[in-house]
Amino acid sequence: MKLNPGKMVTAPIRFAIGMISQTALNVATAFVQIWANKGRSILTTLGIIIAVSSTITVVAFVGGFGKLMTDMVQGYGTQFMVVRPYQWSSSQRGGMKRVRLDITDIEAVRTECPSIRRITPFVFTHNGEISLGNEIAEDVPVRGVTEHYQTIRNFHADVGRFFGPVDVDAAAQVMVLGRSVTKRLGADESIVGEHVYLDGNRFLVIGLLEKKGGNMGEDQDLTVMIPYTAAIKAYPNLRESIPFLAEASSPEATHQAAGEITRVLRTRHGLQPGQRDDFRIDRQDQAVKRFESVRNIASGILAGIVSISLIVGGIGIMNVMLVSVTERTREIGLRKSIGGRRRDIMLQFLTEAVVLCIIGGTIGVALGYSMTFIASLHPQMIEIEVPLWAVAAALVSSAGAGVVFGIIPAFKASILHPIEALRHE
Amino acid sequence: MIASSTKPGDALIELVDLEKIYRVGTELVHALRGVSVSIRENEYVAIMGPSGSGKSTMMNILGCLDVPTAGKYMLRGRDVSTLSQSRLARIRGRQIGFVFQTFELLPRTTALKNVELPLMYAQVSRKKQRAMTALQRVGLEDRATHRPNQLSGGQKQRVAIARALAQTPDIILADEPTGNLDSKTGEEIMAIFDSLHSEGQTIIIVTHEEEIAARCRRVIRLHDGRIATDNIVSRPKPATQYATVTAQ
Repeated sequence: MKLNPGKMVTAPIRFAIGMISQTALNVATAFVQIWANKGRSILTTLGIIIAVSSTITVVAFVGGFGKLMTDMVQGYGTQFMVVRPYQWSSSQRGGMKRVRLDITDIEAVRTECPSIRRITPFVFTHNGEISLGNEIAEDVPVRGVTEHYQTIRNFHADVGRFFGPVDVDAAAQVMVLGRSVTKRLGADESIVGEHVYLDGNRFLVIGLLEKKGGNMGEDQDLTVMIPYTAAIKAYPNLRESIPFLAEASSPEATHQAAGEITRVLRTRHGLQPGQRDDFRIDRQDQAVKRFESVRNIASGILAGIVSISLIVGGIGIMNVMLVSVTERTREIGLRKSIGGRRRDIMLQFLTEAVVLCIIGGTIGVALGYSMTFIASLHPQMIEIEVPLWAVAAALVSSAGAGVVFGIIPAFKASILHPIEALRHE
Repeated sequence: MIASSTKPGDALIELVDLEKIYRVGTELVHALRGVSVSIRENEYVAIMGPSGSGKSTMMNILGCLDVPTAGKYMLRGRDVSTLSQSRLARIRGRQIGFVFQTFELLPRTTALKNVELPLMYAQVSRKKQRAMTALQRVGLEDRATHRPNQLSGGQKQRVAIARALAQTPDIILADEPTGNLDSKTGEEIMAIFDSLHSEGQTIIIVTHEEEIAARCRRVIRLHDGRIATDNIVSRPKPATQYATVTAQ
């Protein structure tokens, strides 16, 4: 070997190429070794396979349900809140006889709360009986609202029309039907213009609500809507306790709006400081937050289970690598005698552990995909898909397990004395 | 680059008062008790001695697999007796070519890949080409893609010699290279060593077979950790004669 100044420049590049080709060779050696012990390798990686495949499946399910919930909650809009009369505890006296929330309260909120864009009373009964000729639909939720309800809750009529302010002011006996009610009555779109009876009161059907489908086991199309004024007339006992829906002017103003409502209602109800509210405000944005925190806790628990199963899988890997090191002591001795340094030996066995884990991880991902796919074949299954980040995380963490649990066997291999290793039987 | 620092005729290997003490359990074993030897380039040396004489210890130290307890080991003018593990590994990889009694080829790995192994650790370029050249020197270029279990014992040892040659080492260090072979195959292997020696290669063979030693140019006999005799063989036995002797 002679010094060649021209070649010196390329030394770092040659070093890099050497490193890459050594790694490639290590990986190749790892595959040869793993293939030579197929049965053992599969059994060893079983822990990792199970850990990864179950994670993938569960993540897909949690993600699917999470998306469903988020879509549902956000479909309602996060800007609106429901305000209803509420008695905090039975020991509190005074409120029982009082008109707890009436139309004047709602009117006050509408005029005195600048952060509120829309407001509608919400007179509700869940067991209305509707009849058309001989056909009767029972237990139909009836909503007495104003025209603003369409915008706040995104209910629109796609046949006929929704009622307008004139109908509301006049307490007109008009009704908009959900599609499931139409179906129960054995009618089709031609029902618009017909008269039906709601608990004995005659209503003119003026429109049909567009189909919304089911949501969390609740049929959203099983409902009818009438002007709240007509509802109060039909159900006089509901007059004293009218919940309402309020929509803030923007998502950011939701908190502000809730504060304004509280102030107005407390003043009107003459509540003293220290007395509890006699109403309750349910905010959608808080529901979203609550749901998200539940999902985060679930994810945390899941991560814990995953790491435990990865540790179990990793211990299996460590075990088989220790066996492998013992079996290949002479090979280690030989490698050292022909120039292999401690770090070369260490890298070789570490590579093998990592490759083993990545193979397990890959099989686990494939298995997880298959399970998710099979589950999605069920007709009533929600939409689920395996997120890419979960695949990446699964592979990275199994490779990580390979490094963590491969390091002890690899170190053990690297510190073997070449002479003793070569003498090993 | 180190070669240029040594003038022809200078010692390639210089052992000065080499001592090695092992601890076996509670007992101390004095394996080498002051060995001083000088070996020049292109020497063909046999190290002999009964078991326990220290010849294995001496080979391990010569091969940089072990370091002496006391004394100095100069390899090409450089003191290697105090080097770190990783420096020693580097020297083993670049300056020493081992040939073992039991071949020590990696199973499930082709002959060519086996020969490439030391080149990988030395991170040199054109590995395949160099490995192929080494296989050609032992006449096994047509077995390059065979795995050890597809090779005969003699062929395995030739692959091992090719592996030792791949890095063009200063010394070939062979430990009973014919010990696991029949006499005819052993003869083939010795013929390869002979020809390598004639091409200028320095070869050290550790053996207990007189016939093998008789083919070398110098025989060092150890006894109880000391050099008993160190003789130059004036008329080494020719190959054919060796073959007939062992065939009997």
